[in-house]
Amino acid sequence: MSDETSAGRSRRWLVVVIALVLIAALGFAVGRFSTFGSQAVAAAPGTSSPEAGFSRDMQVHHAQAIQMAMEIYRKTDDDELRVLSYDIATGQAGQRGEMYDWLVQWGLPQSGGPMMQWMDEDGTGHEHGATADGEPMTDDEAHEAMGMASDEEIAALEAATGQEADCLFLELMIRHHEGAIPMAEALLALGTDARALEVAQAIKNGQTSEIDAMRSMQTRLACSS
Amino acid sequence: MTPTSDKRQSGNPATQAKIDLTVKQQREQKRQEKLAEYQKQLAKRRRSKLVWWIVGSTAAVLVVGAIVASIVFAPAPAPSYARGDSDGTGIEGVETFTNTANHVEGTVEYAQTPPTGGDHNAIWLNCGVYTEPVPNENAVHALEHGAVWVTYDPAQVSDADIAALADALPSTYTVLSPYSDMDTPIAVSAWNAQLKVDSADDERIEEFIKAYWRSTNAPEPNAACTGAYDAPGKK
Repeated sequence: MSDETSAGRSRRWLVVVIALVLIAALGFAVGRFSTFGSQAVAAAPGTSSPEAGFSRDMQVHHAQAIQMAMEIYRKTDDDELRVLSYDIATGQAGQRGEMYDWLVQWGLPQSGGPMMQWMDEDGTGHEHGATADGEPMTDDEAHEAMGMASDEEIAALEAATGQEADCLFLELMIRHHEGAIPMAEALLALGTDARALEVAQAIKNGQTSEIDAMRSMQTRLACSS
Repeated sequence: MTPTSDKRQSGNPATQAKIDLTVKQQREQKRQEKLAEYQKQLAKRRRSKLVWWIVGSTAAVLVVGAIVASIVFAPAPAPSYARGDSDGTGIEGVETFTNTANHVEGTVEYAQTPPTGGDHNAIWLNCGVYTEPVPNENAVHALEHGAVWVTYDPAQVSDADIAALADALPSTYTVLSPYSDMDTPIAVSAWNAQLKVDSADDERIEEFIKAYWRSTNAPEPNAACTGAYDAPGKK
């Protein structure tokens, strides 16, 4: 009789202990679930992702746009061109800073593989990141493919004055903007990160309309090209 | 209560049958009833035990499932802002320093050779390839903006190696220049970090660039490395 009671009692204790363990375990799971919202988006892009390649190459591209815009901002006599160059320099500096921070937040180095190589990952045969013989582009070749100015063209812009400088700036910047659009389109085709896609779309739209503005300025300033 | 001796008569056949039973039979029947009752109780207890087992094990399974789900469906951890495998600490031979970063005029005595940081001129050196030594005070300002400065001792490094160095560097935010008074053929410097190597094809140069080129280690990593000072000898 006393054996039975003690057996029953210890079984009751066992049930209580199990119940407490279950409640504690449930609490643990609930605690984990409650932290879900406060954490970052899943799966940051990796170092060979289109997002990382876009961020790296577009920073190089934007840096030169800022350099050229600051150059013409310093010396142009045309009010419309001065405000446009202010717009380009400050707008692209902001975008460039944001792209820098993507890599910081994703824990990736600012430097990566050959320029423009990320644009080929769609396998559609666009030979963006490679020359005809399949070798990765050198930086100079990639700069040219991205519409960037060569060292000689930058030197010419720095040396020029007056209407000649204004017209050279417009010519170089139109080509520069035209080079950005295929890069933005490549990310729109290949990328998945929501904010990166948004920025790519903004670059495509913004630079397309700036090209129009610069073309009409070329006409107004009677540039020959 | 049941009369044992003179038996009653009943019109109800069931009652009559009961009356007809002997005492022994009646006791037997009672025992049977009790047994049946006991077995019913036993079955009931067994059923309720079963219910408790089902409830208990379902709860246990649900809790275990919740824990598994809380681990399996956990989102990726928040960014740490650590530079992952590119923080430079794993590169053999990298030295790190602490330097001030004020704008000053005139020449500055730097703690490292070549300098990796410190007070500097207000005008930064434009990044690029230089064939002549560049002023420390301007080059340090470029380091502050995130540039990597590669210096070579022209007496110890061949033209082919200089060309190889130029090819290996990123096209922006790098300075390549000769530097005579160093205790190494080649030094690779970023803000507060330096690597000294003997040859241009040392693999650590690339690792150093991955770690420090435009890194968050520099005080102003998004400031320009163009539009300021072209020192003599810029290619």
